[in-house]
Amino acid sequence: MNNPVTIIMIEDDEGHARLIERNIRRSGVNNEILPFTSGTAALEYLFGKDGTGLDHKGSALLILLDLNLPDTTGIDILKRVKENRYLKTTPVVVLTTTDDSHEIKRCYELGCNVYITKPVNYESFANAIRQLGLFFSVIQVPPAAT
Amino acid sequence: VTADAQRKRAMGHVLLFAAGLLVLTAISAGSVHLVNKAREDARKVLHTLEAENQISLVQLQLRRAESAQRGYLATLRPDFRVDFEQALSELTPALTRLSQLISDNPVQRRLISEMMPLYDQRIEEFRTTIELARSQRMSDAAKIVREGIGRDTMKHIDDLAVRMRAEEDRLFVERTTNADRSQTLAASITGIGSGFVVVLAGIAIFLVRRSSLARDQADARLRDSHLNLEATIDERTADLREANDEIQRFAYIVSHDLRSPLVNIMGFTSELEELRGDIFKRIAALSRAQSATPPAPENATDTAEPVLEGSDKQLSEDFSEALGFIKSSIGKMDRLISAILSLTREGRREFEPVWIDTRELIEAIVTTVAHQAAEAQAEIRIDPLPNIVSDRLALEQIFSNLIDNALKYLKAGVPGEITVRGRTKLGFAIFELSDNGRGIDPKDHQRIFELFRRAGTQDKPGQGIGLAHVRALVRRLGGTMSVASELHQGSTFTITLPINWPVGNRNTRT
Repeated sequence: MNNPVTIIMIEDDEGHARLIERNIRRSGVNNEILPFTSGTAALEYLFGKDGTGLDHKGSALLILLDLNLPDTTGIDILKRVKENRYLKTTPVVVLTTTDDSHEIKRCYELGCNVYITKPVNYESFANAIRQLGLFFSVIQVPPAAT
Repeated sequence: VTADAQRKRAMGHVLLFAAGLLVLTAISAGSVHLVNKAREDARKVLHTLEAENQISLVQLQLRRAESAQRGYLATLRPDFRVDFEQALSELTPALTRLSQLISDNPVQRRLISEMMPLYDQRIEEFRTTIELARSQRMSDAAKIVREGIGRDTMKHIDDLAVRMRAEEDRLFVERTTNADRSQTLAASITGIGSGFVVVLAGIAIFLVRRSSLARDQADARLRDSHLNLEATIDERTADLREANDEIQRFAYIVSHDLRSPLVNIMGFTSELEELRGDIFKRIAALSRAQSATPPAPENATDTAEPVLEGSDKQLSEDFSEALGFIKSSIGKMDRLISAILSLTREGRREFEPVWIDTRELIEAIVTTVAHQAAEAQAEIRIDPLPNIVSDRLALEQIFSNLIDNALKYLKAGVPGEITVRGRTKLGFAIFELSDNGRGIDPKDHQRIFELFRRAGTQDKPGQGIGLAHVRALVRRLGGTMSVASELHQGSTFTITLPINWPVGNRNTRT
């Protein structure tokens, strides 16, 4: 990646988080990965204390989002990110167990960039994450709007 | 209204009717009787008058005989004798008639028996005087007349006649009174009877009104309870629907949330597998170092299985076996969860009723399984089928599952024969799918429709979902499904579906 893109991983299941991180690393992506296990903590980081998202003005972020979170739903986070003037250009990859077509449609409608269903089969899972890593290594992430 | 009260009311009606009939009969009988009595009374009154008349007639004839006798005695003209004889000849039958008329009355009978000798005596006296006059013994005759014996007798006769007349008058008064009483009685009986009938009619009207009122009330109650029932049914249906939805959601969420830990188990099992490779590589390297053989180049052994010996090899194999079981179990669990998910998703799908050419639909399914059919040397025959209004996708799933099963469980080495037949009965279309396959033991007939359950030889891949899914669909479409089969005798699956889309079917969901 050209710019130091920070990957924000919002995933309540630490096991999943570990597996995702490992496989991203295996694909050769060495960007910083910030893991959050709850939606509240992630939102606090993303929007800052004032809730405007001004903190991340000009920095390049990529969000990996799980939909089934204990405190808030991933949909809410997606919605707020895409409505924020600083964060709306940030690519959001939804990575979740939900493969309900309504849910998928909803996410794309809200501005999600990629929707990936976590396969139980580990080979497919690892493959998907590695390919996602490859995707990360070529994706051009714009800095957050100024 | 209880049965007891109803019986009482019916009894009341019968009694009322009987009473009315009785009163009418009594009135009629009474009237007939009284009319007869009145006629009898009138006859008796007439009889009395006749008797009185006869008494007068008898007296008149006696007087006539007397005046004829006097005339003859005075003039001796034979005319008077003829007159006398004529009066006598009329007197005798008149007397006879009179005694006949009064024969029913003992008082009169006594009087007339007293009177008869007097008459005879008088007539004898007349004859004697006339005979004396004829034989020119006028003085003797005049003497007899003068003696006045005849006058006494005559007076006596008149007396008796007066008494008889008085008796007849008494009878007349009595009989007239009787007749009057009879008539009054008849009139009052008719009046009272009419009154009774009016009263009974009034009671009947009252009863009819009361029972019609009761019927109206019962009608109203029936309507109310009907409405209540409808409301209750709606409520229950809503409850059931809600419960069903709840179960669907529950199954969906559970299966979904089960997946998440499964990803971890699978993921870290695979990680363990990787670690296993690393560990045994190192063990191999260590053991080789101990046995002082030259170590193989690092790169060459990177992907290849490390060469192990003795107990190390055993350990590695045990490790692999354990991991293999874990992975296959996870795979199985994943398939089950996916099956539950797809079933719940199917259960949440809305139906779209359309007019379906059933034969065409099944022919399309047969085309898609043509390859499997050819492999199994099976022939699928489709008889004329009734067309129905239903959900196309659901029907496709139902028939393709059944045809798949029929092809899958044919007897090895026997060319398959699968037949789809159809008929209609009372607004339902009945489809029968028969095969000559391996059949199903009757004790398994219920089991095969249960989720994740299978029957017979387990030599074909499958989850035990197809038939459970088919039956759930058939039920949701408002139909029923059954199987008839014996082991090694083939099976017949019967599906009954409504021809028209039933109103209130679960085609809409809130």
